[in-house]
Amino acid sequence: MKEYFYYPGCTSPVRLPQYEASTIAVLDKLGIKLSYLHNANCCGAQYVESLSPNAFVAMSGRILALAEKFEKDICVTCGACNHSLKHAKHELDNNKELRIEINSLLKEEDLEYTGAAKVVHLIQILRDDVGIEKIKDAVVRPFDPSLVLATHYGCHLTRPWELAQIDDPENPMIMDHMIEALGATVVQYPEKTRCCGGPLLAMDPEASNRIGLEKIENVRSVGGQGIVTACGFCDIQLAQVQFGGDLKSEDRIPVLQLPQLMGIAFGIDEETLGLDLNKISPEPIINALQEVKC
Amino acid sequence: MSKELHSPTSSFAMEIASIPGGEDIRKCIQCGICSATCSVASVVDKYRPRKLIQKILIGERNEVLKDDLPWLCMMCRTCEDRCQEGASPVDIFHVVRQLAVKEGYIPDAFKQATKTVLLDGWMLEDAYSDFIEEDRENLNLDTNLEWNEEFTRRLMSKYFKGVI
Repeated sequence: MKEYFYYPGCTSPVRLPQYEASTIAVLDKLGIKLSYLHNANCCGAQYVESLSPNAFVAMSGRILALAEKFEKDICVTCGACNHSLKHAKHELDNNKELRIEINSLLKEEDLEYTGAAKVVHLIQILRDDVGIEKIKDAVVRPFDPSLVLATHYGCHLTRPWELAQIDDPENPMIMDHMIEALGATVVQYPEKTRCCGGPLLAMDPEASNRIGLEKIENVRSVGGQGIVTACGFCDIQLAQVQFGGDLKSEDRIPVLQLPQLMGIAFGIDEETLGLDLNKISPEPIINALQEVKC
Repeated sequence: MSKELHSPTSSFAMEIASIPGGEDIRKCIQCGICSATCSVASVVDKYRPRKLIQKILIGERNEVLKDDLPWLCMMCRTCEDRCQEGASPVDIFHVVRQLAVKEGYIPDAFKQATKTVLLDGWMLEDAYSDFIEEDRENLNLDTNLEWNEEFTRRLMSKYFKGVI
């Protein structure tokens, strides 16, 4: 059984624990074991990155060094962590001076960065370790093709390609194919690759909200009945923007994380996937399963 | 493919170009695809990445470094993907932010978030309530999140003295 260190980041554990739970449950079903990286620190995201590029690399450098110590690669499920860790790895692998500087900081804890640990996002594990065929095989109750879903990848999952190595940033389709393997129909919508607006939340909440809502309207314009995400931060933002404005509750579009959706089709129970914790009830999606064939 | 580089004449543009990441300022031909493609520009009238880069090119150093505009970029990198000259406005704005930090201009939102992360080791310690702990318990997840703040506090004293 392949095993990874799970680095859930700082946002999901508190704001979206169902993402963590469904990731663990779905990967377990597919033969991948996740264990926790204890005593980790936050990746610092754009805040630390903007104020001190070296401190930013140091934060992710420590996370990578922790994983190295226990000889495992790292699995991330957040776009920001995906970017921070891959960026730090790139810097530390290519900038000798910076590596010496960071390693002198890590030495105090008996840690060292050598570049041995890889960083992969959940989607990469599903694509490279598992594969579409095995995902298809794990489906016990496929969704009805009349269920129309839209994908939102999140900026730092695909951009920049040189670091992310996940999919074409201008036309990402990996997640779309995975969802089709579960039986549902995936629609393309205008501005699919645009940002959720989340990173602007601290600087201009009103504008952040409008960017998120634009996305919701674009999904609605093509008949999307649900939005599937692969970043905790985006997931929270796309659900949150649908409250507080003029949207009636029946007009809100459910937002689910990819492993939650997979888990439903894999027959994993709703409690394990934490579906009741989703801000917008995913009931229409749960009810779109085909009848079980005996 | 190597693109023709331009020689900006303002001292501010040259200052930016001399810092790693900022050299892309020499690739900009002011075509405006960055503004056309920008999610922030689509909802915030005062924010246009092309105009911001133009201000750098003509040397409006004070105006750029003492303004919130360079901090409105979400770093989504869509413009970087679409720039036909291969320039990264994101990298340019990162350099601008570093210079602004040196000059003592950091928007409160960035100051506060960075402080929280460095002191607590992570972003959301204050938000971790008993209710969420219960949710985690129900999901069979560890309730002890075990974030390390010793290291981030060391970074605070090494990299952020007098900054935040």
